[in-house]
Amino acid sequence: MRSNLRWLLLPALLLPLGWLLFVNIGADPRTIPSQIICRSLPAFSLTTLDGDTFTDADLAGRPAVINFWASWCGPCVAEHPVLLDVASVAGGSVQLVGVVYQDRPASAAGWLRRYGDGGWPDLVDDGNLALDFGVTGPPETYFVDADGIVRDRVVGPLTTQSMRDGLHEIGVDLS
Amino acid sequence: MKRLAVPVVLVAAVLGVGLVAFLAAPSAPTSGAAAAAGIAADLRCPDCQSLSVAESRTAASAAIRAEIVAQLDAGRTPDEVRQHFVDRYGAWILLRPALPLAWIAPLLALAAGVAWLGWWISDRRTRPLPPAPPAPDAATRRRLADEAEALDA
Amino acid sequence: MLPTIGHAAIVVALALTLYAALAFWLGARRNDRAAVASGRAAMTGAFALTAIASVALMASLLTHDFSIAYVARNNATTTPPFYSVISLWAALEGSILFWALLLTGWSALLLHRYRDRHAELMPWVGLTLALGSAFFFAVMTWPGNPFERLTPVPGEGNGPNALLQNNPFMGLHPPLLYLGYTGMAIPFAFGMAALVTGRTGPEWLAIVRRWTVIPWIFLTAGIVAGAWWSYEVLGWGGYWAWDPVENAALLPWLTATAFIHSSMVAERRGGLRTWTMALVVFTYVLTLVGTFLTRSGVVASVHAFTASAIGPWFAVAILVALAGGLGLLLWRLPNLADRDVAPNAVSRESAFLLNNVLFLGLTFVVLFGTLLPMIVEGATGDRISVGAPYFNAINAPLFGALLFLMGIGPALPWGGASWRTIRDRFGGPLLLAVGAALVGVLLGMRGLPQLGTLFLAILVLGILGDELIRGARSRGRSRGETPPTAAWRLATRNRRRYGGYVVHAGICVMAIAVAVSATGASQASATLHIGESMKVGGYTLTLRDVVVEPLRDDPRVTETRAELDYRGSQSGALVTAQRDYPNSTTPIATPGVRTFATEDLYVTLLQADASGGTASLQVFRNPLVAWIWLGGFVVVVGAVFAVWPDRRRAVVVAPAPAREAPASVQVTGA
Repeated sequence: MRSNLRWLLLPALLLPLGWLLFVNIGADPRTIPSQIICRSLPAFSLTTLDGDTFTDADLAGRPAVINFWASWCGPCVAEHPVLLDVASVAGGSVQLVGVVYQDRPASAAGWLRRYGDGGWPDLVDDGNLALDFGVTGPPETYFVDADGIVRDRVVGPLTTQSMRDGLHEIGVDLS
Repeated sequence: MKRLAVPVVLVAAVLGVGLVAFLAAPSAPTSGAAAAAGIAADLRCPDCQSLSVAESRTAASAAIRAEIVAQLDAGRTPDEVRQHFVDRYGAWILLRPALPLAWIAPLLALAAGVAWLGWWISDRRTRPLPPAPPAPDAATRRRLADEAEALDA
Repeated sequence: MLPTIGHAAIVVALALTLYAALAFWLGARRNDRAAVASGRAAMTGAFALTAIASVALMASLLTHDFSIAYVARNNATTTPPFYSVISLWAALEGSILFWALLLTGWSALLLHRYRDRHAELMPWVGLTLALGSAFFFAVMTWPGNPFERLTPVPGEGNGPNALLQNNPFMGLHPPLLYLGYTGMAIPFAFGMAALVTGRTGPEWLAIVRRWTVIPWIFLTAGIVAGAWWSYEVLGWGGYWAWDPVENAALLPWLTATAFIHSSMVAERRGGLRTWTMALVVFTYVLTLVGTFLTRSGVVASVHAFTASAIGPWFAVAILVALAGGLGLLLWRLPNLADRDVAPNAVSRESAFLLNNVLFLGLTFVVLFGTLLPMIVEGATGDRISVGAPYFNAINAPLFGALLFLMGIGPALPWGGASWRTIRDRFGGPLLLAVGAALVGVLLGMRGLPQLGTLFLAILVLGILGDELIRGARSRGRSRGETPPTAAWRLATRNRRRYGGYVVHAGICVMAIAVAVSATGASQASATLHIGESMKVGGYTLTLRDVVVEPLRDDPRVTETRAELDYRGSQSGALVTAQRDYPNSTTPIATPGVRTFATEDLYVTLLQADASGGTASLQVFRNPLVAWIWLGGFVVVVGAVFAVWPDRRRAVVVAPAPAREAPASVQVTGA
């Protein structure tokens, strides 16, 4: 009796362990799923680098791309051309918004002069907007549809492809 | 009876000192800064690895620390503040998982271990001794001698 | 040329280890000594070839041969020679090569030492080691080739991971840890051999105890040195974050420590054979789990290597090792039925067994906590975290209980203790510990963690000191020796016992230092202009200068340095810096640490502006941290003392007393 039952210990240990070892291979532990996807844009009212006031109401009725960046962020330089590109190609159908993350406005303005100002508003965040979005660190980009629902997020520098995919989620297709 | 008295005295001594230490300890954090630090220690830094918001020096951690202080000042309870961040970052941000399983499983495992130990001792105290095995034979003794010699080489 | 040689060496080594496995198997089945000898020669050959491959990779790193992908990824023309050499183990493929080097090195050493002894066991030991080594060569032949070529050859490499080239300690703790990890293959191999041959008696235990303590020493040293590295490099003011990779090193350490203790009961009283064998299997499997966690990319950690294709290989290896080990154990279970003696509830046996329950409890908590995020994600897709607050909350009481047992266990007699013995042995130390706790309160120590640890540690130290004094006094009386001579002779005649006491004393020192540094630190942060000061924990720090300049031995690296003066119970100057590496998006902190007997002053530079002359600083006053490293050193010294070969040794085969069941075989001085 006992002599045979003890063999059950092997599958009882090995099967769950095997499942556990294989189930997460290939998953990237560094990316955290966003909580804001499929939820509404949080309310905000912030000042742009130009000194204007910009609120969530200004985004109503238009798809928007919200990009968190900072002058101290290296990869932000790499993704900037992708944003400039979209601004020139699809600037009419999608509203681009930059959010300056944990940075001095003067440094951010200097960075834009150096790498190119696409003309879209850049908001100076007091820290709360980034927390409301659940931003882990710049660069991070959110795609918001015309109804104000967040549809997609890209962590890390944007690529032409990830930008295209994100825009597709909010109903903007680049030809 | 005397057998029992020994562990009782030892345990009582440990508990006594523990009690003194506990009483000498400052009571639960009353100041806002201490409460904020406590919450920060329980939240995971979003843009670094394995560190809490209290330990990390990244921008996101600084923003979260500031937000904790602001919310506590606004009169929110620590649990509400934690929930605020769970709503935005997910359960991922809690370094002290809210999952009951996380806390029950270790307790069960320990209880099982102690129960096994109790059974092991009582079982062997009640069971008759099996016959002793033969003493090591000459070959084993020789091997052991070799072994000891080799260890000195 | 070099990469071709290196790669060929690995492929031939794979063939040699497979041949060795076959030769050992035939040697064992046919009792063929020639086959065993050729297997041994093949393992030695594999070691030599791995050494050639390692030297080839090291030379390629030193000469910046970017035609090798590993070199291009982890080296640059400006990398200093020291960091080029240690890049051998600083990234994935190289670390596997280094692992194979140490594993085949241990194997060759062991097989040669025992070539004329244990003729029944050694072929199976060799077979296990050969298969274990073959796995690593297979990994290097297929998914993790350290000599993989890169075309076109880049003109410049990526350079080593910035974190890893920032401090020379990186040259210290990985080799120590790897020596510990790979060494744990030896007790496993002996365990497998014992199970296959059925020779699970005292002979097995004597060898395996010794060959567990030796890698244990390296593992212990590696864990402490790794904590030191974290503290000196990562800049957050702490040394242990319960990070998955730190836990991976701790897990085999916990089970190996449990084994070292339970094997004493097994050796002395004959019981617990199934249990000790299971611990040996678990320890080996946990070293593999550790490598899996570190190298498969399933956990996010400062120490983890980048994601790679070798995850499934390690997963299979873990399952095979566990299935093989447990399978053999279950197969032999009927023969392993313990002939245990009934111990008293208050006896050394029960203290050791409770010790094992607690160590296994810790192992469970650490393993479960480390894997829980993977379990939850695999089952539900949700992401959760298990971090320091969880591990501290559950493990602190377990460590406290272990500390308590550490003192009373060795002082309790085997079999059972009388009230009189207990009063004699524990009364004095108990009073001493209560007194120490009161002094602690007067010194301003507060809270259960600090005072409880102080109480327990002093209790243990008191008991240990009392044991030594009692033993030395009785020896001195009977032989007419002076007390110091008597104590030294007593200790060197009973190395295991008194070496163990030294280990325990070191752990006590570490425990007090950990408890006090974890709960008694003070910190402050401020942004200073040059000439301004800040205060923290009794120190006044003044910013003297902010300098930005390229690093002298690697000009691609820019260092931003804040130069400070500090005044307090100690005074002097210190420098804290941030280094910008071309291959790192974030600057790497280089904290300025001043270590004193009572505390460390630890300054991290958060941000600096040389033109404006400002620096944002985070300053910690960490009490007693130096004693953690010192305690770790004492632990290692004690363990080395315990296994140090003794010139005067005797083999005592004690006849079993009537009530005491099995033959208790004691190899003193071994």
